[in-house]
Amino acid sequence: MLMFTLQLLVAGIATGSVYALIALGIVLIYKCSGVVNFAQGAFVMLGAYLTYGLVKLGLPAYVALLGAMILMAGCGMASERLVLRPMMKAPLVAVMTVTLGMLILMKAVCLAIWGPDQLAFPRLFPDGAVDVFGIFVTYNYLAAFVLSICLSVGFLAFYQLTPIGLMQRCTADNPRAALAIGIHTSNQISLAWSMSAALAGIGGALLASLNGLSLGLADIGLVAFPVIVLGGLTSLTGALVAGLLLGVLQALTDGLLTPVAEQFLRTYTSIYSAGALQQVVPYALLVVVLLVRPEGIFGQRGTERL
Amino acid sequence: MALRARDVSIRFGGVLAVDNMSLDVEPHEIVGLIGPNGAGKTTFINCLSGAYVPQSGKATWKEADLLGRQPHELIRRGVVRTFQNVASLHDLTVLDVVKLGQAVRHGNPMRQLRDMLRSERARDAELIRTILQPLRLAEVAHQPIQSLSYGMRKAVDLARALAAQPQILLLDEPVAGLTAQEGAMMSRVIRDVRDRVGCAVVMVEHKMDVVNATCDRIVVMASGARIFEGSAAQVQSDPSVRRVYLGEP
Ligand SMILES: Nc1ncnc2c1ncn2[C@@H]1O[C@H](COP(=O)(O)OP(=O)(O)OP(=O)(O)O)[C@@H](O)[C@H]1O
Ligand SMILES: [Mg+2]
Repeated sequence: MLMFTLQLLVAGIATGSVYALIALGIVLIYKCSGVVNFAQGAFVMLGAYLTYGLVKLGLPAYVALLGAMILMAGCGMASERLVLRPMMKAPLVAVMTVTLGMLILMKAVCLAIWGPDQLAFPRLFPDGAVDVFGIFVTYNYLAAFVLSICLSVGFLAFYQLTPIGLMQRCTADNPRAALAIGIHTSNQISLAWSMSAALAGIGGALLASLNGLSLGLADIGLVAFPVIVLGGLTSLTGALVAGLLLGVLQALTDGLLTPVAEQFLRTYTSIYSAGALQQVVPYALLVVVLLVRPEGIFGQRGTERL
Repeated sequence: MALRARDVSIRFGGVLAVDNMSLDVEPHEIVGLIGPNGAGKTTFINCLSGAYVPQSGKATWKEADLLGRQPHELIRRGVVRTFQNVASLHDLTVLDVVKLGQAVRHGNPMRQLRDMLRSERARDAELIRTILQPLRLAEVAHQPIQSLSYGMRKAVDLARALAAQPQILLLDEPVAGLTAQEGAMMSRVIRDVRDRVGCAVVMVEHKMDVVNATCDRIVVMASGARIFEGSAAQVQSDPSVRRVYLGEP
């Protein structure tokens, strides 16, 4: 039982680190433009499909992964330039609704190109597992975890330590002041979108390598929102911690809670499955946290700028 | 001629905030821009620094057009300003803000590359020594600006502007709300910058003692227009200036 729990924990941490990567992108965009990007899930899905497509074109897996990341950066920038920049003066609610439209559009495009069925995602990492004190960690999980953490840390270092990161932070802090002191804020927002889409794209490829490739990957966006609200919306560290937490909770729910719940349901009712219980967990957690701390775990009171 | 502004006008609804304003500033020169509240001084600076686009007029800096350009373009040309009301930035430290001033100036990739190769620490130390030290901000370099007094935040704003290596510095009330000591320090730093790098300065200010001690020449604005120009003594004795300040007919 303990071994089984630890095994679940490993899977949860690996998935959670990918969630964290994706959530980082949402927070990044929110911080510098005030927009909650509902299309982030679509970037995740598209990143995975592009990796798949590039491998199908004959590129080696790692090159395909890198290529997809670059294409996604371009896609993020194009979304900002073509869709969001023209809406600069529109109310935020309208802008967010448009991002929802982008989600639907990108899903439709992927459906048209790659069809509705689950596809076998190309193997990015070798088969096999390492044995850590009796817990088997497959290379897939290990690679997803290591890559996500490296990218997250690398991104945070960029954000905290470089002059461009500083301009990002200033734009996030006070866009009007940033503009006035000579920061090209619309370029910074473009940059935020392209970095965010690139991170999401990598996250998508990693998730697909863990769970397979389908349009359902876009729904990850629905998981990511509770994550960033939990993290406090403006806190990058919060996004990281909440992403990990959520991955673990989902894995534990799936492995431990769902069987118990199903047992219970079967004994006392005629319902046979509690299959999607892990999808409910983030929202249940969200409700609890928001009741206790409306500003999220890492949010500061009164940072809401909307 | 370094800065040459001609017949700049901007209107907000029914208010003609700047009315055919003209101003020339030579390199090395510190010009005081004074006038009663609402005279249009800040609005005029906003036009020169790219925050507003005036409806008519022309302004050039070393033969290049200024009006209608964005602040980030103007800063690369050395046109740098400070603010009457310093903006609130929650998360940044004093040193961060100064680095921002430097970062927005360099579109030059060679220089960026060189800066990147130098160690972070050496770069920080240089900024602290050359820019923060003279403004007595070295001790608070790593503190968030939100934690500083009003006077210190004004000094940080000037530090940011200086880090951008200005060729013309547009200062909007740099000593308003500061103690006499702080004001004297700011005045000293402004003159020192002019002496060292030879940048031109336009200083909007109400405190006449500081204006007299800092500026080479004074221009008076009222109701958006320029009404007088001269030395400190001339300004003080001119009847038209007395009229706008004292509200006499
Ligand atoms: N964005 C704006 N919209 C409408 N009116 C404006 C705007 N900016 C300035 N004004 C008006 O223009 C006039 C000049 O204001 P400005 O702030 O330039 O004066 P000032 O000389 O800087 O005054 P002070 O000494 O009080 O700072 C005022 O009547 C002001 O209300
Ligand atoms: Mg003013």
